[in-house]
Amino acid sequence: MTQQAGKFDQEARRKGVRRTAWAVGAVAVAIFLYSILSMLKLS
Amino acid sequence: MAHAATHDHHDDHHGAPTNFFTRWCMSTNHKDIGTLYLIFSLAAFFVGGSFAMVIRAELFKPGMQLVQPYFFNEMTTMHALVMIFGAIMPAFVGLGNWMIPLMIGAPDMALPRMNNLSFWILPFAFALLLSTLFMPGGSPAGGWTMYPPLSLQTGSLAYAVFAIHLMGISSIMGAINIIATILNMRAPGMDLLKMPVFVWSWLITAFLLIAVMPVLAGAVTMLLTDKYFGTSFFNAAGGGDPVLYQHIFWFFGHPEVYIMILPAFGIISEIVPTFARKPIFGYKAMVFAIAAIAFLSFIVWAHHMFAVGLPLGAEIFFMYATMLISVPTGIKVFNWVSTMWGGSMTFETPMLFAIAFIILFTIGGFSGLMLALVPADFQYHDTYFVVAHFHYVLVTGAAFAIMAATYYWLPKWTGHMYSETWGKVHFWSSVISVNVLFFPQHFLGLAGMPRRIPDYNVAFANFNMISSIGGFWFGASQLIFLGVIIHAVWFSKKKATDRVWEGAKGLEWTVPSPAPFHTFELPPVIRDEELAHGHVED
Repeated sequence: MTQQAGKFDQEARRKGVRRTAWAVGAVAVAIFLYSILSMLKLS
Repeated sequence: MAHAATHDHHDDHHGAPTNFFTRWCMSTNHKDIGTLYLIFSLAAFFVGGSFAMVIRAELFKPGMQLVQPYFFNEMTTMHALVMIFGAIMPAFVGLGNWMIPLMIGAPDMALPRMNNLSFWILPFAFALLLSTLFMPGGSPAGGWTMYPPLSLQTGSLAYAVFAIHLMGISSIMGAINIIATILNMRAPGMDLLKMPVFVWSWLITAFLLIAVMPVLAGAVTMLLTDKYFGTSFFNAAGGGDPVLYQHIFWFFGHPEVYIMILPAFGIISEIVPTFARKPIFGYKAMVFAIAAIAFLSFIVWAHHMFAVGLPLGAEIFFMYATMLISVPTGIKVFNWVSTMWGGSMTFETPMLFAIAFIILFTIGGFSGLMLALVPADFQYHDTYFVVAHFHYVLVTGAAFAIMAATYYWLPKWTGHMYSETWGKVHFWSSVISVNVLFFPQHFLGLAGMPRRIPDYNVAFANFNMISSIGGFWFGASQLIFLGVIIHAVWFSKKKATDRVWEGAKGLEWTVPSPAPFHTFELPPVIRDEELAHGHVED
């Protein structure tokens, strides 16, 4: 496939991973809370 | 070859901790964690399979034979939970862990420590779930769907719910990791539309997991509060609605079905081009078909509930939406067949399993189409026809794809070739027995035999006996699978080459066999002509 390594920015990759992980994790938590809170009917 | 970007020698354990505990319990290496997932899923496959043997033994003849009715119900419930959450899902996560970084030229998963946590939650979750079998009152026995009010009568509900929460957390963390890896860790030049179809299938599956696992967690949390904290989400006496649970559960449950089949589609899309020696036909169509199936999976949940008394408009909507899924699925089957068409095909064990998958999964798809028809579903609902349908989808679909993937990548993982003869014995034994096991269940269902019963009318005796014989045979066949794996890992003397299969293309085949402990520490440069799907037109 290749004999040489491509160039990439390690720090940018780290930031991207952190951003993705937090965003996706927050969506998961939000869906969990919404699935319960939307069903609440307090009388 | 890309050895310069990886390793220039076959030192497969270079960099691996020598201490057993450190290496396996504290691992952050995607290959080791992938191996742990695969071993766990194989163990769960045999545990869940042993429950199935109890079910088939009881159903061998009419009348009560071996077990008490409640224990039978425990077996049906635990068989499903163990197979879905313990065998199928962890197997795909294991395959994803092993192969995704290798396929996209990444050195590891994006979040290696979270990867370790995702795996090590699972054994505890399953220990908790299986421990309910030994508790006073027994394990959950109301079916894997845990519909209230029946499930609320289970004494061990809290344990089962906590186990499901743990499995859900594990799955969500695994999905976060896969999304972060694919979106951020690809080698330069590995554009999204150059990724192998398996990677695409996992990316879409991971988004499905993120969207629906929290909904399952929410549903079982509400069950828990209904039982122990006096709420009435699903309690009609308190103003709640048991059917609400079914809506929430199946909003999770139907995408869950696709979570268990989309990675299988990806695997078949890797194997068929290799053994047909042709690029996959319609790469982009394959990717968009997976995305379309994933989208449609969110708007079809109520086809599991036609018999609860939905409004007519809802039944018609969910019927047509469900039938619509056959369009992208048909595209995929058409493209796999077109990939084989005119190809220079050989029939090694992975290809045999892949071809069996295409044929038998399609049978499961057709029976699914029958179940989608509202008037017909009123007859089929809760019968053995449903059992036959989803076992064709999940056993000859998902499980066969996992077996195909195991044979396909095992030489890359272990550095040894498996026994092709015994692989084929395993295949033919499995493919014949699985049809003896599940095909008669269509007839039983059409004749009116309900599912989840330990005793039945004598009119159903013959087909049940045939089905049970197929079941024992299929179960025994999997011991061959175990033997082939053990032989390949520890006893095979036949070394695997780096590329392993003549027609194999893609980054994973450029690293040595066995894959070194660390790969792609420096990212490789991608050349289109070396990718499995060839050059993709913009």
